[in-house]
Amino acid sequence: MFRFIVRRLLITIPTILVVISITWVLIKLAPGNFYSGEKPLSPAVEKIIREKYGLDKPWYQQYGKTIWGIVRHLDFGTSLRYEGQSVNTIIKRSLPVSAAIGMLAYLLALVVGVTIGCIAALKQNSKWDYGSMALAMLGISVPNFVLGPILVLIFSLGLYWLPPSRWGGFPSRNLVLPVLTLSALYMAYIARLTRAGMLEVLRSDYIRTARAKGLSERDVVIRHALRGGLMPVVSYTGPALAFLLTGTVVVERIFALPGLGNYFIQASLNRDEPLIIGIVAFIAITLLLMNLLVDIAYAYLDPRVRYQ
Amino acid sequence: MSSGKFRQIVGLVLLASLAFSTYSCTVASSSEEFFGTTTPPTRDIFRYVTGDEPASLDPALGNGQPEARLYMALYEGLVEYNPKTLEPEPALAERWHINNDSSEFTFHLRTNGRWSNGDPIDANDFVYSFRRALDKKTASRNAYLASYLKYAQAWNEQRIFVRDPKTGQFLLERDFQENPPEESIGNSPLDPAKSEYLPDPNESTPDPDTAFHHQMHSPLRLTLPGDEKARTKRIDASPKLKAAVAGKEFVPVKAEDLGVEAIDKYTVRIYLTQQAPFFLGLLAHQVFRLVPRKVVEQWGEQWTLPEHIVTCGPFKVKQWIPYDRLVLERDPMYWDAKTVKLDELQFFPIVDQATAMNLYKVGELDALYNHAVPNPWLHVIRQKKDYMDRAEAAIDYLIMNTTKPPLDNPKVRKAFNLAIDKEAYANWRRIVKPLTAFTPAGMFAGYPQPQGAAFNPAEGRRLLGEAGYPVVQNSDGSFSCPKFPVDQVEFIYNSQSANKSVAEWMQAQWKQNLGVTVGLRNMEWKTFLESRAKLEYKGFARGAWGADFMDPFTFLSIFYSADESGTGWLDPKYVAMLDEANRTLDHKKRYELLAKAEAYMLDNQPIIPIDTPSVNWLKKPYVKGMYPNPASLFAWKYVYIERDRAKWDYGTPSLTAE
Repeated sequence: MFRFIVRRLLITIPTILVVISITWVLIKLAPGNFYSGEKPLSPAVEKIIREKYGLDKPWYQQYGKTIWGIVRHLDFGTSLRYEGQSVNTIIKRSLPVSAAIGMLAYLLALVVGVTIGCIAALKQNSKWDYGSMALAMLGISVPNFVLGPILVLIFSLGLYWLPPSRWGGFPSRNLVLPVLTLSALYMAYIARLTRAGMLEVLRSDYIRTARAKGLSERDVVIRHALRGGLMPVVSYTGPALAFLLTGTVVVERIFALPGLGNYFIQASLNRDEPLIIGIVAFIAITLLLMNLLVDIAYAYLDPRVRYQ
Repeated sequence: MSSGKFRQIVGLVLLASLAFSTYSCTVASSSEEFFGTTTPPTRDIFRYVTGDEPASLDPALGNGQPEARLYMALYEGLVEYNPKTLEPEPALAERWHINNDSSEFTFHLRTNGRWSNGDPIDANDFVYSFRRALDKKTASRNAYLASYLKYAQAWNEQRIFVRDPKTGQFLLERDFQENPPEESIGNSPLDPAKSEYLPDPNESTPDPDTAFHHQMHSPLRLTLPGDEKARTKRIDASPKLKAAVAGKEFVPVKAEDLGVEAIDKYTVRIYLTQQAPFFLGLLAHQVFRLVPRKVVEQWGEQWTLPEHIVTCGPFKVKQWIPYDRLVLERDPMYWDAKTVKLDELQFFPIVDQATAMNLYKVGELDALYNHAVPNPWLHVIRQKKDYMDRAEAAIDYLIMNTTKPPLDNPKVRKAFNLAIDKEAYANWRRIVKPLTAFTPAGMFAGYPQPQGAAFNPAEGRRLLGEAGYPVVQNSDGSFSCPKFPVDQVEFIYNSQSANKSVAEWMQAQWKQNLGVTVGLRNMEWKTFLESRAKLEYKGFARGAWGADFMDPFTFLSIFYSADESGTGWLDPKYVAMLDEANRTLDHKKRYELLAKAEAYMLDNQPIIPIDTPSVNWLKKPYVKGMYPNPASLFAWKYVYIERDRAKWDYGTPSLTAE
């Protein structure tokens, strides 16, 4: 197990470098510059700006400088758009916002999703089953840029119960709508995964054995069935959590939250190279780590899984 | 699923959506006087959306509208925009005089100007701030606005003078120009016998003369590129220059050569390369606002962080959480602190229009930035009494790539202009006024704006025929132009729903009136800019510009150099006409000459004028002292919260001076 973890961590490093390199190439290929605006700059001013940011150097020097800064000091450089702000500071500042929203959304999705999924599985083909699965289908189909404004329309503009947007710290009433918006899709997905997993497990031999031993239905479901039935949910958790923690572009935009996702989209539109690379690298690292954690969790949950 | 259950569920969903739509209708059609709540904040604070997150709090760097509005709270310069007319009014300079040909400006500072840390402000702060704004190391994108200052460009680009080591004489610009223009007074040696300033009753003794004054007040020195390769190329291109340079030494242009001088502690003199009657108005621009030397030198790029920053405007930084809020508080050190009415200004960076509208509606914002109202909402919102509706110092137009056929032919360009019914367009857009010239209609009092060509599709068809693309009328009355190379033109615009509908409107006009179907292509913003700036597009592109200062020249100067217009059109005759106008001291005569130049440009038709937009934003009725001026730049020190309902604004406040 230990060797497995070390090996996986070692593979992470070249993977991240490849991700960074591809991102770097894509940014260089994209037309336009961080300094371009409605009125083009005079060639002289443009030249001055290119010199200041080292854009007049050959590509391998620019690439080398970027990679060296990251490898040597874990330093992604300074934002081109936000003068004087280092990428590391920006990530450090905006991550807690994204993580708070993402964590809450996932917890909510997990609790509600698993509960609904279990009920649906246990009462298969009842109106509970159909009702909850129809709702889940709706949750998957309605994109968050539709759901968000609808929630705002009802709870903020109509009823004046909750603030329509903006960050209000943690915890605050401002969190309610973005968390609801964000969790809907995951909730629906988890409900469906739980239902499918539970249905399969409930038919398996060891559940029949458990029932035959005379265990109460509650014990059968919670102590035996859930453990196996949640396996698909666990494997889904890795990537889902990685994306939720590192910011969700649409929700942060609609609710004007100072999170990573908002920075990410703005950095791409601004051609803010160091910031884009920093955020992409950060998301990649989180994704890889989350997947590793999921694999480890698998080993604990399912006795049949063993890593060499 | 049995059909009965299915029907049950469908019924439920329908019921829910019906309930929801009834509910949303009641929200949309509410006939309230104002948009949303009108409860004033309990404290004297003002909450505002700036648009995008500001690029920097450094006034030399940010070049967007969101930044300009912030800088007006944090920094001051010699003059400030009048809140209604945008005309320059005294700020850190108490009074000033301008020499007879607008090439030399002397400013007397007030003696009670102070930085937010209590340090006094004096003339040296201006000298430092101007030099820094133009320093190559600062890499300011606004440097072009300061290029009127003597040797500004030379210092910015780190060019060099050429000096004779024996005599100490510098080579002069005029000796290497083909047709040297008539020299301004400022570029001629000082004549002690003649005063170049009109007598001023407030000025008992004339401003002191200095050695620097003499150095500036003389013919322009020649400058050459600092980069050796570019310099050699320039020298090799001219045998006369090559001969003159031989045996001379190169002297780098230094910060000290820039045309700004602290005559004494409270007097600043500015020297310009040319006559620039509009320069005083330009001085209110952010690039000319003061930055604190000590702090900038101590912290470098980090000087704008909240823990370091020192400012000189009516407000100072209290808290800055990027992408969330920038909170400014009243600065007790500010020289005019008694006028400042608000305790706090809160700026929120919000990009999404609907999000900003929602916050405004529920009363979490007191005003919105210009163009905050999304297009589809306008028909409802513009009837509210908190909607701001006034002319804007801006224009919308189409640019054409005049370097590629078939639009390299002025007749074709004219045909496409004549085929657009701008009146109908303005009626359709509701909040714009039709434009047939290049300067915003009726914006500059006394400016004899040229008419431009009116809608005339028949003439357009005739011109297209003359250019070799005859338009034929089909049996059903429609037109077609079979010979026109439609694959050689397209209309590019940046992805935005409003731009798309505008593009489709133009496309329909050309199809209907010329029988030409121009393809449309939307592009991501930066890609669009690149394609336009490098003339990579073929055909038409969307263009828009807002005034940098309140003078027709801010628009006309777009065609002053080859780089800015995106059309590839540059005509020395047009440039000469503008120069002549700016050399003219008589205000009325100057406007006439500028209008002549504008008419000449329009006749060459590198662009198709479309409309003059109107400002569109919202302000709660209790917000007073904030006026919908043509550039949406607000002097925050006059803004206040009025709690007496009788004194509220019911409708757009007037812009005429009280």
